[in-house]
Amino acid sequence: MPTSADIKKDAVLNYNGQLYVVTDFTFVNPGKGSAFYRTKMKALESGKVMEVTFKSGEAVDIVEVDKRKMQFLYKDNEGFHFMDPASYEQVTISEELLGEKGVYLKDGSDALVLLHEGAPITIEVPRKVTLKVVEAPPGVKGDTASGNVTKEVTLENGIKIRAPLFIKEGEMIIVNTETGEYVERA
Amino acid sequence: MNSKNWKRIKNSQLDKNLFIKRAKIIRAIREFFWNTGFLEVETPEVVALPGQEPYLDVFETELHDDRGKKIPAALVTSPEYAMKKILAAGYQKIFQLTKAFRNNESLGGIHNPEFTILEWYRQSADYLDIMKDTEALIKFIIKKLGLPTMIAYQGTEIDLSGRWHRLTVTQAMKNYAGVSNLSDGGIRRAAKKKGYRVENDEPYDSIFFRLFLNEVEDKLPKNLPIFIYDYPAELAALAKRKNDNPELAERFELYIGGLEIANAFSELLDAKEQERRFLKEQELRKQSGRKIYPIDEELLAALSEIKNPCGGIALGIDRLVMLLTNQKDINNVLFFPAKELFHH
Repeated sequence: MPTSADIKKDAVLNYNGQLYVVTDFTFVNPGKGSAFYRTKMKALESGKVMEVTFKSGEAVDIVEVDKRKMQFLYKDNEGFHFMDPASYEQVTISEELLGEKGVYLKDGSDALVLLHEGAPITIEVPRKVTLKVVEAPPGVKGDTASGNVTKEVTLENGIKIRAPLFIKEGEMIIVNTETGEYVERA
Repeated sequence: MNSKNWKRIKNSQLDKNLFIKRAKIIRAIREFFWNTGFLEVETPEVVALPGQEPYLDVFETELHDDRGKKIPAALVTSPEYAMKKILAAGYQKIFQLTKAFRNNESLGGIHNPEFTILEWYRQSADYLDIMKDTEALIKFIIKKLGLPTMIAYQGTEIDLSGRWHRLTVTQAMKNYAGVSNLSDGGIRRAAKKKGYRVENDEPYDSIFFRLFLNEVEDKLPKNLPIFIYDYPAELAALAKRKNDNPELAERFELYIGGLEIANAFSELLDAKEQERRFLKEQELRKQSGRKIYPIDEELLAALSEIKNPCGGIALGIDRLVMLLTNQKDINNVLFFPAKELFHH
């Protein structure tokens, strides 16, 4: 039987008879009281997010999922459409279920789709993606003593993130998809 | 491959400044304690008997003596035991800046397995005196570094001026978790009602802190420093019970900007009671499959030698630096975080 230590991001859990996909997962060992895993998970049916803590060593029901490499076609009102290039089978994941991961998809790009009994659940986004900076205001030197001087830049997929002052329009930068934060120049 | 901290620092004046600020904080701490009559002491990091805390995992090693004899040894989880023996030796006010080691913790975030700890102890004092020291110390550091009393941490402005906010554990659990009965039965019922899975043999402190850390900690006001004090006696650890209410122990924790910065006690000096608590801690360690260490008999003897009431505290220096440099991740305030040393 798997325990809480086997939970990973994107794992699918059967919790009290409902299926959930894990969206966020932190090990907390406070040094006082026993360690636990603080888990954010989204109900596959309703898209509702809940937070659950699992004690270290607690038994959990992890559901097997299939991973298939698919091509991202396009996004519309129904959600994000993917196609299996081998079988031409198409699947759709609602925007609600996919959450903020959707912003890292480019039309025509490959995506790893997770399926449970044929139904798509979510995609695996690489931890780091390279994106082009489409808008970057010139940096203004502020209070350098605060140790944290950044500016807001806009990336090709429309998201805005904080980046160092030296980043210019047209440059490629690496973004951590888990935190949505700037990593380094590509 | 992530770029290592030292390489990042090489290219950034901002990061260089952060570590200069760290050094200035350490220097200001020493100045504060010298100014107020504390003696700086040093105690061993490699010891025969490490801490007995039920939820801490110890780094174990081995000492080889000059005849090649191999003796089990461990790295300290805190310098507390040795500091108390120094009080017993007759010193009234002592402080120490050192490293402490705790295994099986996350590499980054608010934990690094090796961290810098400040401890100070004083005789003829209790936890309320230590509260005043703590407030005075941090205000002194801010003044020394020329920082404003309104500091920005992760998007929140924190006002460090004036008398700091104080809130009892009883009030905090009631206000933020809606739990007013802190008895064993009370917190078990409350946890189950909130959907936690609680086994019958789960100890009190484990349930309590799951509730506290998940229902209370996040909701504490982040725009002011806050002392959370008077813990249920089951969570006393090395703290003395309150004279007027033995259900509670004289312990406080300091939170600033959502970070737990320090943990303090009116020190328990009753050797008999301390021995009983060590035995209970051993029991808890056994229950959770952790290794049990022999009781430090010398510490028990030292406690009976201390004739005045004492207060003491452990304060996490790395977290204080995070706060004062507006860093979310402890790894950013260390030249060599464990995460970079051991993986990725």
